[in-house]
Amino acid sequence: MNNLVEKYLRLNQVPTKACHGCGIGMIENWLLQAIDEVGFKRQDVIFGTGIGCVGRQTFATWGGDNFGATHGRALAVATGLKLAQPDKKYLIVVGDGDAAAIGTSHLIHAARRNLGVTVICEDNMGYESTGGQFSPTTPADYVTNSSPYGMVEPSFDPCEVVKAAGATFVAETTAVQWNQTIKIVKKALQNDGFSFVHVRFPCNENFGAYALGTRDTMKNLEWIWEHTKGKKANGEESDFKWETGIKHDASNSRPEFSRLLRDLIGRAQRKDEGRAEAAR
Amino acid sequence: MHASAVLKEQLMAPWVDWAQKFSNGRRLLETGTYALTEGAIAAGCRFFGGYPITPATEIAEHMSKRLPMVGGFYVQAEDELAGMHMCAGGSLGGLKAMTATSGPGYTLMHDAYGWAITNEIPLVVVDAMRVGPISGITGAPGQGEFYVSRYCTHGGNFETIVLSPNSVQEMFWLVIDAFNLSERFRTVVTILTDQVVADMQEDLFIPSNYEELSEIVVPRRYNLNLPFYPGGSDAIDFPPNVVGLGTGVCVSAYTHTEEGYDIEEMEAQWEQTQRLVNKIRHHSDQILRYEAVGLEDAEVIAVAYGAPSRTVKTGVLQARQRGIKAGFLRLISLWPFPNELFDRDTHYLVCELNYDGQLVREVQRAAPDKSKVHFMGKSAELHTVAEVRAALAGVSAERKIPELPYIWTEVR
Repeated sequence: MNNLVEKYLRLNQVPTKACHGCGIGMIENWLLQAIDEVGFKRQDVIFGTGIGCVGRQTFATWGGDNFGATHGRALAVATGLKLAQPDKKYLIVVGDGDAAAIGTSHLIHAARRNLGVTVICEDNMGYESTGGQFSPTTPADYVTNSSPYGMVEPSFDPCEVVKAAGATFVAETTAVQWNQTIKIVKKALQNDGFSFVHVRFPCNENFGAYALGTRDTMKNLEWIWEHTKGKKANGEESDFKWETGIKHDASNSRPEFSRLLRDLIGRAQRKDEGRAEAAR
Repeated sequence: MHASAVLKEQLMAPWVDWAQKFSNGRRLLETGTYALTEGAIAAGCRFFGGYPITPATEIAEHMSKRLPMVGGFYVQAEDELAGMHMCAGGSLGGLKAMTATSGPGYTLMHDAYGWAITNEIPLVVVDAMRVGPISGITGAPGQGEFYVSRYCTHGGNFETIVLSPNSVQEMFWLVIDAFNLSERFRTVVTILTDQVVADMQEDLFIPSNYEELSEIVVPRRYNLNLPFYPGGSDAIDFPPNVVGLGTGVCVSAYTHTEEGYDIEEMEAQWEQTQRLVNKIRHHSDQILRYEAVGLEDAEVIAVAYGAPSRTVKTGVLQARQRGIKAGFLRLISLWPFPNELFDRDTHYLVCELNYDGQLVREVQRAAPDKSKVHFMGKSAELHTVAEVRAALAGVSAERKIPELPYIWTEVR
């Protein structure tokens, strides 16, 4: 067990019940490294999750305060919490179902409000805890248990959506890019506003088995690596390419949501006092 | 001689004393929604998350103006799902919180209801009912959410507290009561009101200094230690949990341990359910609120709640003057259902604003003789006094309601 796990997590809650070769634990380790390098303590960070593989495997692992919302609503809960406890850092770890399907409207409006939270969307490209159905981030044409003839819908890029909605920090990375991911998460945590980090990771049991034809962790990681390069190991072009890295960085460029509402309180109270003064 | 002169009238609610205690204030001509928001502010509500919907919109508007003045937060959510989840978040962070909606929005809140009830998060939810299903008639009163407010989320294994006011003044006191119950029971308290009580203007007394209400307002407290969830315990007045003070509390959508860890064990479900059900069932005497007239000798007792209780009460008093031994029972606490108010073996005339019959089914269950429970359903308009009088006369003389236009009497 590494030192960061002892420093930040609950030893009776890790390792989680995740499947063999799942990327969720590895990514959480990287999050801890970023948190540690930025200098946050357990009590500085509130850890929020959603439902599905990512929610179930990360909920209650954090050594401080934890919440696991209903499916897709982690950002709605975080909006209320951030107003009540504005000085905390919020790390909201959700899956592609939470962020890109059932909870997308909350994601969009949290970005629009510039809510001070860091969203880590850990994307295994489908609904894997229910047995491997396609999600809005499953690449087109790939076979899953609910797209047996190949996914016919175009897939969806949550980074583009939150950027358009007004997020002040947006980045995309993958479970094969350790160094890049830590750098990105550190930057995301230092934005006093809405930060969104999209991290793709492999699922061996479902996406790997049905879409890629293998439960071999290394082969599934290699498939992700190829798509970050646009090239296969044998030099051939891959069917598509993900552009990873920082997509948009306007960190600390506009007021964070809870700050806006606190300023509003000041204005309303001054106006109210003025009115009382005039009445006298 | 007027029979009403000897009638025993009874109001069983904490605000009977409160109204005596606090007499220094202002008299206004105001709406139910205004009284509701002022009562909420007086109770210490500092967070509102909601979505505009007729006839609850004015609650949101008043809150958007008033909350910043007292250092609170108004958030206009992207939908009601978000609105109630935001309130749950705000309450978990230590702020008393409320949301308000009507039928279509209420339907969207069931997701958050389950989360808030299971995690024992104090909240107040207002449903200003209109005619349904769906958008129905937006500007007319209905009472279609009597059962929905009890079964406000899926999965069973919980009890709920639901209150219903019938006047602008009562709205003010009742919302303070609702916040108190939500704190003491660590749960969601629903205020089931309707378009008439929400929109109508009436005489309203408001205390001039809300700080003086501190002796009746239950303050927010924080549970800083284990157990965060006292499984198996029916104790009330257990302080709510708080996220953000570093207690290490865990709040989730799963069946939980006393720490809040997710667990998939039958025994844990038993413990959690004992907690969620019995904290309310075992203290139902502390939730019982009602108004009654002449129950002791009545041959027929008219039963109603919310806006229709206004015309129903007048109908009962007029029937008394005409020599009919009529009684009146207005439920203020709807859930847990006050079975004990129906122990007399007599006739009951249940008046409610729906045709399918909801409250009447609970009265049939609670009353000694189901065949003596009569139904008078109406929708989109209150029962007229004349209709109530005619029905009371019919039940009194012939044991049945005469045929009246737009009055539904069949229950199956």
